[in-house]
Formats: sequence, C-alpha cells, structure tokens
Amino acid sequence: MPVIETKNLTYTYPGGTKPSISDVSIKIKKGEFALITGPSGCGKTTLCRCFNGLIPHFYQGELKGEIKVTGLNILENPIYEMAKHVGLVFQNPENQLFALSVEKDVAFGLENLGVPREEIRKRVNWTLNLTGIYDLRERAPHELSGGQQQRVAIASILAMQPEVMVLDEPTSFLDPLSAKKIFKVIYELNKKLGITVVLVEHRLDLTARYADHIIVMDDGKVVLDGEPREILSSEEARLIGIGIPKATRLYHILKKDGVKLSNTVPLSSDEMANLLKEALKVHD
Amino acid sequence: MSVFDGLKFRRVYSPIHNLDPRIKFIYVLAIFVIAIIFWELIPLIVLFIIQIPFVVLAGVKREWLRSMRGGAFLASIIFVTNFVVAYFAGRGLAESLENAIALTLRFIVLIESFSIFFLTTSPDHLGLALEQTGMPYEFCFAFTTAVRFVPVLAEEAQTIMDAQKARGLELERGNFLKRIRNYIPILIPLIVSAIRRSLELAEAMESRAWGATKKRTNLYVLKIHKNDFFLIVITIGILATAIFIRLYVPIPSLNQLLKGIF
Ligand SMILES: Nc1ncnc2c1ncn2[C@@H]1O[C@H](COP(=O)(O)OP(=O)(O)O)[C@@H](O)[C@H]1O
Ligand SMILES: [Mg+2]
Repeated sequence: MPVIETKNLTYTYPGGTKPSISDVSIKIKKGEFALITGPSGCGKTTLCRCFNGLIPHFYQGELKGEIKVTGLNILENPIYEMAKHVGLVFQNPENQLFALSVEKDVAFGLENLGVPREEIRKRVNWTLNLTGIYDLRERAPHELSGGQQQRVAIASILAMQPEVMVLDEPTSFLDPLSAKKIFKVIYELNKKLGITVVLVEHRLDLTARYADHIIVMDDGKVVLDGEPREILSSEEARLIGIGIPKATRLYHILKKDGVKLSNTVPLSSDEMANLLKEALKVHD
Repeated sequence: MSVFDGLKFRRVYSPIHNLDPRIKFIYVLAIFVIAIIFWELIPLIVLFIIQIPFVVLAGVKREWLRSMRGGAFLASIIFVTNFVVAYFAGRGLAESLENAIALTLRFIVLIESFSIFFLTTSPDHLGLALEQTGMPYEFCFAFTTAVRFVPVLAEEAQTIMDAQKARGLELERGNFLKRIRNYIPILIPLIVSAIRRSLELAEAMESRAWGATKKRTNLYVLKIHKNDFFLIVITIGILATAIFIRLYVPIPSLNQLLKGIF
C-alpha cells in the first residue's frame, strides 16, 4: 500500500478563479525518498498542504478527487490526527519556532498530544541527539543561525515520530553549505529510520543523488513522474526548465559527442567523476 | 534597537533566578503592601535596603541600576510635587523635605521590587507560572510567543527603516505631526509582514497537533524547592513584622530622632 496516494486531486483556493493543482494522481511508496520539483508557482506548496489536511481544513476552498495518506482519508481526519502520521517542515525556519528555547520547541508537538512528561523528555533528548543539536537545547531561536533553526524545525517534527516527513523547500533561506548539511540529515532519517521523505526542492544538484522517485510539476499538473535517472535525462525536463544536475547534463553532452561512457546516468559530481575515471582507464 | 534591549531577558543562573516565579511574585506583592502601609521615612529606608541582597545574589546589578535610572525622572517629579505641596500647606521645611523623600522612596521601592522580579524571571518560567496558576493555555502561549518574536520584529523594523531611508525617507524631518506621519512607510510593511508571519505560524502550529487534546502536558513543571520555602518564610516574617510595627510601635520621624540625639 502506498504511503501517499492521490487520484485526480484538484484544488482551488477560496476566491481563486482557477485550480492551483489539477488532476494530480501520484503514489509514493513506504520508505521512499521522493523529490518534487518544478517552476515557482506550479503548485508544489499547495500539494504539500494537502498531505496533512491543511488543505482543506485550514485553507477551506474546494478540493476534488481522492487523497489518502498513511491509509487515512484526509477529509475524515482533523489536522491534529494527521499530524501524528505526517510531519510538515516549511520554507521559513523562523516562522515555525514558537518557544523560547530549542528543547521546548522540539517538545511542542508532543505536549499538544498530551504525551506524559517522562516520555516527552526521552523523545526530546533522542531527537536532539539524532539531529546534532543537543548542545543548542537551551538556546533561544533568535540566537541560532538559519541552518540551525531549520534543524530545530526538522527535530520538532521528528520528535512526533511521523511515518512521512514532507519538507517544502527547507533550504531556500539557507546558504549552500547549510543546505548540504540539512539534506544529509534528511537522507539519514530516510535511510536509518525508514521514514518516507517527500522533499520539495529546486537544488537537484545537491538532492537528486538521494532520490528514489522524482515528480515534476508544471502549472498545477504533474508532468513527469518516475525514476530520477530517466526523468532527468528526458528532453521534457530540460524544456520545463528544472535545475537538472550539471553532472547529468555533462554526461548527455559528452555522450552525444560520441564519448564512450557506461550506461548509468550520473546524478552527482562524484558519480560523474567515477564514470570519467573508468572511461579514461579503458582508453589507456 | 536600544528600546528593545530591556525586553531581552538575559539567561543567568543564580539562586534567585531558580526560585519559583509564583513565590517570587508573592514576595513582590508583600513588599508592595508594606510600602503602601508605611509613609514614614525610616521603615521605607529599611525596606529599600533589605532588597539589595536579592540584587547582589542574582548578579543583575547593572540591569537593575539601569531600570532604577529609568524611574529617576518620575521619582523626581514625585519628589518636587510633594515637597512643594507640603511646604505651601504650611508644614516646616524639614518636615516637608522628609515627607517628600519618604513618598519618593516608596515609589522607588515599588520599582525596585518589580524590577527584581522581571530581571530574574525568564519569560519561559513566567509563562509556565501563568499556566500552572490556571491561566488558559492559549493566553500563556500567546504571551511566550510574543516575547519570542520581539527580537525578530525589532530586527525587521530596523531592516525596513534602513530600506526606506535608502529610498530617501527622512524620519527626523518636520514638526511633530509630520514626524509621526513619517513612520507610516515603516509601519505598513511591518504590519503586512507580521500578518503573513502569523499565518505561517498558525500553519506550523496546526501541523504540530495544536488543539489535539484538552489535557495538554508540559515539558517543564514548577516544583517548590528548599530555597522557595526559605523565601516564603522570609516573606511571612517581613510581612508579620511590618504589620506588628504598624499596629503597635509608634514610628518616630527622622527629624525627631535627630533632635533627640543632639
Ligand atoms: N494561500 C493562498 N491563497 C490563494 N492562492 C494561493 C495561496 N497560496 C498559493 N496560491 C496560488 O496557488 C498557486 C500555486 O502556488 P504554490 O503552491 O505556492 O506554488 P509553489 O510552491 O510551487 O511555488 C499560485 O498561483 C499561487 O498564487
Ligand atoms: Mg512553494
């Protein structure tokens, strides 16, 4: 059973004239690292809001089609029920931290659920250690860098131990190095804990290597959906203007010019480097 | 930014900071009551002095002095009015002076005790204390979140101010009304951004199971420790002594005392 399944999902914001997403049918499997990408305004954030019921419960508006997340029908479950199963991390780290200390923020979700105090303490410490922010636990949010704040936001979702974690451009406010570190953290959560990850991201250079599945959206619709190496090699992807990793582009340019390279398409510079080394060895 | 600096609580650890805020608040109230029931100079001096050990123990002398200086202007107004009124009502110079000093000191004692409370109580603790005294959680949450966003909004206000100045906005130009109008191009973006921020916050709160249960838990819990008992005993002691003196001991004025000695 897929963790997230939508069928012909169409949604219009209240007062909107045309749907922000239309006819979206996707399946995301358990344990997958799925990447959603596409130009600004194509409806990525809107789709994310459907995953935990912010749409339609918080935003109202008109939702058509079917959506099930972790087997639960969004329409029949309030947001706080969905929050136990699906965690959402937003773009701006500053606006998702409420408390005056890091550990209090990480505890916030569990407090809301009425989890006993000792259990909260245990889970908060576990989460702080896992995300590498244990030393920051008593700091106030405004004393942290953007990268640290986003780690706290991720930790505060992780503490609720959701089955799926949805991250909507979590690094767009961060510098490349902090972004890289955040992606590492996310990847480890996916590999070590088996949490299903849905990552919305433009920086495919840094993220494509982790993905099992890529969904490309354009103008509210899903236009490409499948295996990363295949999707990123396609002509359509290039025309939509998504940020295809440079290694992948280079591979195709070299291949077209007749350079003999193996058939696995590289998604990162490391993979490309290995490919080139191999090719050079053959020539010797 | 300097206006907001005073709102930034400095995290320090001291025996006073670790006291239960509820007990500290009762102490402040007790001092308040005592300051009100005495109008003579000598007991008010005593009241002023017995609070100084708290300031020293808490290690907040610098902040404390700053807040006292903040009250200096009001204190001097209180002094002058009381002195002038008493003097022209026909009381002697010495007596008017003593009376005015006493009333000013009463005001200073009030500021003193309040600033000790706020300088040594973290907003987190204060929120927790509100919660545990039965204040609705929504209210406590609004309080701590507001405190959390003070530095953020202050920084944002500064950024907007710089941006508008770079476009030629002159803040310190014109008469009083004009100057107030000058702030409109700063207030509007600030308000718009605050509204957007609050929407994002609401979204994040919902996503973390806000309102899932009426029986919310809290990571922290306030417990009464040995030092808190100590403070309760001190408070009761001071209050009882003060009431006893008020009722049964005639208090000489400083003037009479000095005359008696010489
Ligand atoms: N809260 C909202 N109210 C009304 N319309 C919105 C809202 N949020 C987004 N939209 C509209 O929905 C469309 C998709 O936006 P969004 O999902 O934010 O795209 P993306 O995240 O891919 O940049 C845009 O046309 C945008 O104007
Ligand atoms: Mg978006």
